[in-house]
Amino acid sequence: MRFAILGGLLVALVAPWFITSDSVLAIAIYGFMSAALAVSFNLIFGFTGQLSMFHAASFGVSAYVVTILVTSYGWNFWLAIPCALLLVVVLALFVGTICFRFKLKEFYFAVVTMAFSEVLRLITLNWNSVTNGSLGITVVDKPSLWTPWGSLTFSSGISWYYVTLVLLVVVYIVCQRVLASWIGQCLAAIRLNDLLGETLGIDVFKYKLISFAIGSALAGLVGAFYGFYAGFVEPHYLSIPLGLDIVAMVLLGGVNSLIGPVIGALMLTALPHVIELSAEFRIALYGAILIFVILVMPKGIMGLITSRKNAA
Amino acid sequence: MLQLILGQLLNGIIVGSLYGIIALGVTLTFGLTGIVNFALGAFMMLGAYGTWYLYDVAHLPYPLAVVGAVLGVSAVGYVSDMLLFRFTRGNLVNGLLVSIGLISVFEALVLSAFTTTPKDLTYVLPGAFQVAGMFLPKIKLVVCAVFLVIIFGTYLALTRTWLGRAAFAYAQNPEAATLMGIRTERLQTIVVVYSTALAGLGGGLYASMYSIEPTIGTAYILKAVEAAILAGVGSVIGALGGGIILGVSENIGSVFFPSAFRDAYGLVFLIGILLVRPSGLFGDRL
Amino acid sequence: MKIWKKACAIAVVAGAAAFAGQAASAQETVKIGQIEALTGATATYGWMSAQGTKVAVEEINAKGGFKVGDKTYKLQLLQVDTRGEPREATVQFRKMMEENVHFVFGPFLTNVFNAIEPIANQNNGKFLLFAGATSAHHALGKPDHDYLMRAWNWDAGPSGFGKLMVDYLKKLNTKKVAMLFQNDAFGKTAVDIYAALFKDAGIELQVELFEPGTKDFSASLAKLASGKPDFLFPGYSDAVLYDIVRQSTESGFGNRFFLVRGSIGPALKNKDSIVDYIAYVPKYFEDAEKKEPKTKAFVESYKAIMKRDFPYDQAPLCSSACYDHVYMLVEAMQKAGTVSDVAKIRATLMDMTYDGMWKIKYDKTGETVFGFDVVHVRKGGAIEVVQFDPTK
Repeated sequence: MRFAILGGLLVALVAPWFITSDSVLAIAIYGFMSAALAVSFNLIFGFTGQLSMFHAASFGVSAYVVTILVTSYGWNFWLAIPCALLLVVVLALFVGTICFRFKLKEFYFAVVTMAFSEVLRLITLNWNSVTNGSLGITVVDKPSLWTPWGSLTFSSGISWYYVTLVLLVVVYIVCQRVLASWIGQCLAAIRLNDLLGETLGIDVFKYKLISFAIGSALAGLVGAFYGFYAGFVEPHYLSIPLGLDIVAMVLLGGVNSLIGPVIGALMLTALPHVIELSAEFRIALYGAILIFVILVMPKGIMGLITSRKNAA
Repeated sequence: MLQLILGQLLNGIIVGSLYGIIALGVTLTFGLTGIVNFALGAFMMLGAYGTWYLYDVAHLPYPLAVVGAVLGVSAVGYVSDMLLFRFTRGNLVNGLLVSIGLISVFEALVLSAFTTTPKDLTYVLPGAFQVAGMFLPKIKLVVCAVFLVIIFGTYLALTRTWLGRAAFAYAQNPEAATLMGIRTERLQTIVVVYSTALAGLGGGLYASMYSIEPTIGTAYILKAVEAAILAGVGSVIGALGGGIILGVSENIGSVFFPSAFRDAYGLVFLIGILLVRPSGLFGDRL
Repeated sequence: MKIWKKACAIAVVAGAAAFAGQAASAQETVKIGQIEALTGATATYGWMSAQGTKVAVEEINAKGGFKVGDKTYKLQLLQVDTRGEPREATVQFRKMMEENVHFVFGPFLTNVFNAIEPIANQNNGKFLLFAGATSAHHALGKPDHDYLMRAWNWDAGPSGFGKLMVDYLKKLNTKKVAMLFQNDAFGKTAVDIYAALFKDAGIELQVELFEPGTKDFSASLAKLASGKPDFLFPGYSDAVLYDIVRQSTESGFGNRFFLVRGSIGPALKNKDSIVDYIAYVPKYFEDAEKKEPKTKAFVESYKAIMKRDFPYDQAPLCSSACYDHVYMLVEAMQKAGTVSDVAKIRATLMDMTYDGMWKIKYDKTGETVFGFDVVHVRKGGAIEVVQFDPTK
């Protein structure tokens, strides 16, 4: 398994030498960023059992904060990121404390986090003086990195390809480390049974909050880069459909695995561009695939692979 | 000013009853099958288009068109249940995703049949009553009355009939209910189909008040879910109450504050109520 | 597992090959791209516009194409659906650029235009973009924007229809207008444009924004009505106009309307309860069809190609502007004697006046100027059409 993942990474590392098309590169870049979102979401959803609808909000808030700090206040991109993450963590702690303190059940939790997320979207949409409202903000600046060989500006598709690949790997490793630690053990217990966890002496509230905060912060990290690659930020970054897309990616890939969401995200990002159909049928096909995946392979692609392996 | 507020209070109740009828479907489906059927918004859209087609294209009388549309939507609901929802019982996330997939399919079908151009029904009942300087559109009053009758009727059916009590018993305690000889699967199918019929009715009447497009369902299903949660899932009268609270808070909120924040007024209310009563305003009562 | 990874890698490479492969096709065709929202909540404009282009392309190809020099070319139309999502659009637009599409129509949506603009700048000189978006106006004439043409009348300015419309209101002795608009990218732009126009005209303006997708406007209307405006200036698409006009008249919040984007369908539907309904319409088709043979031919052609009824209420919005623009482009290619030298074609476009369903020319910034109608519907459905022709 680990071997296969490393192999995949290797393929990803050399792939740009073979990709000549800018649009394929763009799909890969968006795919990596979506994958990073999906992996971080799965920490909260798959490994802690909390259906958070706040993920898009964490992503969007961070994208806005970084963009505003850089374009309006002239901050350095790399300095703006920690600030944005700090804000996202504070927001996540606030929302999480409320939800977990009141022990909201799974669906209630989803709706309340969605409510907070919508309120944040409406604030972003209407706070014209700072966020430029519905028009969003165009980001012309590209971040650059100081290296011993001179400053490296992320402007070409290839540079973004590697930046986002690194981003994905970082998010992946953070999640892996968290899950491999004592925290991961506690989360597993909580996912299986809240009450049981409590009787075992686990501070359920604390660990849920930790998972929610880490996952949201990682989403914020993706958001920080996203706006600068896309060239614009707009209120749709915080929208409910984006949150649902992430859920679909995770389910397609497989909930109980770390690599599953990566596969799911890459496939769902590429899908609309691979199938050339009229507009109506493309939507219908998207829906049909979603239904098919859920009903025929409820554990996602990874579930299918592992069960094949066990059978063989 | 008083007139303005009173008028919006009434309008909030009318709009809220529309949220309520869909919320009732959400609540019933959730209580019996453990899933949140997001596709109810799409069923509502189907009901609206069905009504439009039967009334404006096939020239049936309006009530008949609505009945036809509701029957059609129930049939689609039955087929969806047999083919899809049946396999997601008790699995919240899978149910959610399947219903979201279904929304895409329905929207695409309607889009390819009727295009994205909005349809506006020939007015069924134009004009308004004038009461104390306020205008109350006739059609809105009639629609609201129908919704109230249906919701209270459902309440009576659930408390007074065997089937209804069986459904309620099941929602309370599935195992005990099965032991008492309730045929669970049939009961669940009935409730899922009934919920789609309610959504279809909502859509059919919606079409007499507002113009319709293939995307109308999305906004309403979100409101309906909010209303159901606000009230406390499982409560029939609560679904109506939740819908009305949302409708009123949006309308009154928009009068005093910018209407761009309209959706937020209901949400803030929702968060507030859940913090005081985590299981919803009307709790786990009927 | 390994096999899966390999399969994925192969799929990616195959996908790349497929994208690249499409670039090479028959030489005798000229590719026209169109990037619009064809589905989703913001699709009305893009969808109508896409149909206009399609009708023109099919007509031209059915006649065997067109001649430039001694070569005959056919048109190949590539239409993509952005669903109004900027991110999708950036990928689709990149793909078009890779496929060497020299002429791209769209987008009408402001947020989509903003998203693709940087990519378009990088491809400056390789293609022409006929954008409808309002935000494209401010990008005209900027450095790296030689590709940009705006295929729609501008609201403000000396030949702008918005200014003429506001003047028209002024003549009706209007003191106060209430604007009720979608809170989205175009809505915000429109508020900015018209706030300035009304201020210049000395008309007081009250603004209320609503979340796109809203269907019940009662609260906003009641609030605006308490300010007693002379005219209501509601949203920019028919999806909201039908509802606003109905709710406003039914509940006594106002019966005089003024709009710059949208059809007169809502007025005719509520003809007995409105008092005034003044709309900017690029062409009043019901009338024009009887008088102008070109318009009649277009209506017939539309029905034959699309196999559906002619949408009189939606058609003027944009479909036909795109229809004419395809013909205008073909004429420019013929005059310039090239199908690939975009700078020369642009220069030809800027010099010419096209006489189709509309009389169209470009002003010196590259923005379309064309004749249009101001339709004034009065109580009972009496229609008065005033024609303007700023191309003279």
